[in-house]
Amino acid sequence: MTPMNRRRFFTFGAGSVAAAALGACDSFGPRSAASLLKFAERKNEQLERWLFSSGSRNRFANTDRLSGRAFPRYFVSETIPMWNEAQRGVWRLEVGGAVRTPLSLTLDDLMKMRSVSQRVDHFCVEGWTARAEWTGVRLSELARAAGATSDAEYVDFQSFDSDYHESWDIDSALHPQTLVAYGLDRAMLGPGHGAPARVHSPVKLGYKNTKYLTRVLFMPTRSGGYWSDRGYEWYGGV
Amino acid sequence: MTIPGGESLGDAVDSSPLAPGPAASAEGPGAAARPRPAARHHWIVRLTHWVNVVALGLMITSGLRIFNAYPAFARRGESFCCYPFAGKPIPEALTFGGWLAGARNWHFAAMWLLFANGFVYLAFIYLHGEWRDLVPRRGDARDMWEMVKFYLFARREHPHQGKHNALQKSAYFSMPILGALAILTGIAIWKPVQFAPLTNALGGYVWARYWHFLVMLGLVLLSIVHTVMVFAVDPYSLRSMITGGYDDSKSPEARNARPFFWHRPSAAPRTDGGLDT
Repeated sequence: MTPMNRRRFFTFGAGSVAAAALGACDSFGPRSAASLLKFAERKNEQLERWLFSSGSRNRFANTDRLSGRAFPRYFVSETIPMWNEAQRGVWRLEVGGAVRTPLSLTLDDLMKMRSVSQRVDHFCVEGWTARAEWTGVRLSELARAAGATSDAEYVDFQSFDSDYHESWDIDSALHPQTLVAYGLDRAMLGPGHGAPARVHSPVKLGYKNTKYLTRVLFMPTRSGGYWSDRGYEWYGGV
Repeated sequence: MTIPGGESLGDAVDSSPLAPGPAASAEGPGAAARPRPAARHHWIVRLTHWVNVVALGLMITSGLRIFNAYPAFARRGESFCCYPFAGKPIPEALTFGGWLAGARNWHFAAMWLLFANGFVYLAFIYLHGEWRDLVPRRGDARDMWEMVKFYLFARREHPHQGKHNALQKSAYFSMPILGALAILTGIAIWKPVQFAPLTNALGGYVWARYWHFLVMLGLVLLSIVHTVMVFAVDPYSLRSMITGGYDDSKSPEARNARPFFWHRPSAAPRTDGGLDT
């Protein structure tokens, strides 16, 4: 056996440390890092909320191409979620929680409210983007109509796509480009894109934009979300 | 100390324990403790170097896992000119984080390690003067060309150099610049709405994401070349980045070392005074 000289000691030592580090973690990383990652996420959220400006805008030229049929369709249920009027009655959007006058709006009611159309990017957490023209009612308009109180620090967007929902900070929800959209590319929203109405905003990653919307709940506390509870960051701001 | 001028300065130098002089050699070769040379790399440089290995490693591998969620650049319904491997994911062995959310959590945590470490390093070399070994100077281009000629056997003698040769200098100077560009392009794709002017200045989200990828490739390339060259030309420098110790008689210049072409310096003459010969 060869004697242990200094070089051998360093080589052997470095190898042992690397082996121990690799042994302690799978491809997800060491388990003990989970709390550190959570801590970083909380600190990042603080920074992101501080950076957030309601004056920020996502824009592109009117002449720029829209994604059209290439805009991905996505839902978590086994099959494409469709509102079954025979079973569930007429679809209504409930606006409630920390509000003075809870609303229950049919699609007609929603379409009679002041609407906006905007061409914005859609930022998916996966890294792709798509462009479309969305038509709908600003969430700030709904908050005003329902009389959201000062207790409303968060908003939960709930759906009929299984148990899909995502909660937002109130600032992002009241951003002028955050819509409850019922129109896509100058047509009514199709079932693949969240009909009859969905949340759409360029200030949040795609997974925060609940489709197949049923309920807008203003709340004093946050309530997580479908993907936020499965490891994706809750804030998901863009 | 009240005596002004060169006289007191001369006294100070003579009485310095580090100054080689008749007093030191009079004690005999066995008793004289050789003056311990200053570390080639300050401990802050050594520490930030190895922290950087960890931070860059985490950022690159988790970034590649994020990239694999959509290994392409084109916006939906469009094409992208400049990436021939669209749709082909990076081999999983080169990625870290396990899945998209895990990789994102690592990426957005390790970015602070990379940023803080880079800040400490740059602040230190700025305040401590090491930046002088790295900033480009007039003549560097010519010196780099001479190094290339030497490596290609088109020149016999290793060009004279300071702490680093001209090629090294350019690589070590590029590293923090690429790091800064990685952070800038990273912010542009992290917050393309909040920092819309930045993202737009980079050509929009799709291009900013592409620049972020290219900067990563640049960092990977520099790191690979750097690591290969350490072992191929100057393995003795490995010690200088761990303990700080470096024997100048074994420097590439002293050994006339080309990548993979050099001899063990056992027979080479000592240049440190040779007290133990």
